[in-house]
Amino acid sequence: MKKVMEEISIIVRLKAPDPAAMTALSTFRRINPGECPDRLERYDYWCFIDPAEGRDTVSGIVSRYHDIVNPNKQTWSFAGDESLSAGSDEGMVWIDVLVTDKIDSVSENWTAILHRNRSEVESVRCSVLWRFGFSSGISFEDARKRVLDLTVSTYRDHGLLANPVSQKIDPPVPSRI
Amino acid sequence: MSSAPLVAVIQFPGSNCEYETSSAVKNSGLDSVIYRWNQWRELKDSHPDAYILPGGFSFQDRVRAGAVAAKERIMDLVFSEAAAGKPLLGICNGAQILVESGLVPGWERGKIESALASNHISGRSGYLSRWIFLRIDSRAQRICPWLGKPDKGIIPLPVAHAEGRFVFAEKDRKRALTAAALLYCDENGNESSEYPVNPNGSFLNLAGIMNDSGNVLAMMPHPERAYWLWQLPPWTPGDWGDRRNQSISSGSFADEKGPGSFIFESLADYFRGER
Repeated sequence: MKKVMEEISIIVRLKAPDPAAMTALSTFRRINPGECPDRLERYDYWCFIDPAEGRDTVSGIVSRYHDIVNPNKQTWSFAGDESLSAGSDEGMVWIDVLVTDKIDSVSENWTAILHRNRSEVESVRCSVLWRFGFSSGISFEDARKRVLDLTVSTYRDHGLLANPVSQKIDPPVPSRI
Repeated sequence: MSSAPLVAVIQFPGSNCEYETSSAVKNSGLDSVIYRWNQWRELKDSHPDAYILPGGFSFQDRVRAGAVAAKERIMDLVFSEAAAGKPLLGICNGAQILVESGLVPGWERGKIESALASNHISGRSGYLSRWIFLRIDSRAQRICPWLGKPDKGIIPLPVAHAEGRFVFAEKDRKRALTAAALLYCDENGNESSEYPVNPNGSFLNLAGIMNDSGNVLAMMPHPERAYWLWQLPPWTPGDWGDRRNQSISSGSFADEKGPGSFIFESLADYFRGER
């Protein structure tokens, strides 16, 4: 029977406000004022595939390689464990969308580095996680639609965060609250 | 006021090649003015004859290289001028802006139909800076105002980018051939998809693509950084290396034009009606 690969993901955030998220939000305010989220956050998202000792293996890798998490400027948590962004989230609808390069040297090279250094993980895949926050009064379904509109860049005046020609966009999902 | 055709060089926050680019234009007998991204009214009132988006890191490459600049108001004007047939060139980050604007390949107006994705090289990732060789597609040479100057042979130019790999959707891959303008090759003109001949894994070894009518060209190498012969490295092989060495012997090293000048001089020829 084929073994099911376990995937353990981590979320890496800047200690300071993320400048790319700030720029993206101000661009949305200009090009899509009617659909603009109230908050937008950006994280590095690393998915470790089949780590031998589960979270312990991942923790070991993260503490060893400061190119993945630089403790001077970043913090990290396991995906799903993280507390939501700073400030009040009361009544807000949060939607996550994951953007991944279809062909990605960074993931390939990190997989090679980890194999070379005998880290017990099958492979690693890095993505960008965008987290959209909408004030109350919007349904999850409407929020999801807006997130897709804002994310997928199909025309010059439509979408920003991902170019679908070279990037894969995972379906938006509600954040865990 | 100069009577030479005016080439507008547009500087976004984070552009860093605008002065060299403008200087290359002027040294080719054209007039050039640098406009900041928020000077769209001044740009419109000056009625430029051609436009260049120079290299750099517009908006610090935040989100994705070129993506934010493509949404700027000044690009509305650039978009309509390109649609009217005026020559438009994007160099490196400028090329990324053109791709993210849907100006190249431009098959459907405003639609984003290609990408300049992260370099894909085995064993390394991130920014790459090196000299490469180019050849010009024969159709592009006929229709593109930036590529018309004859007798250029194989062209050595520098590249410096992290996101320079031209990508097309599966359904558009055949059609991408029609957009080919500049192709990576070795010093003898032979194409290869392998590094370092193709420095970033670009589809079809594409170093530059154009729209159907040829007036819009997006290229990743930097012609302004090889405008003068003295800018070439001493190890440059082939015809351009020979020219470099001869110019040193003859004492004309400081004044002779290099391989990158053909882009700007092609445009000057175009305005003179010489092609």
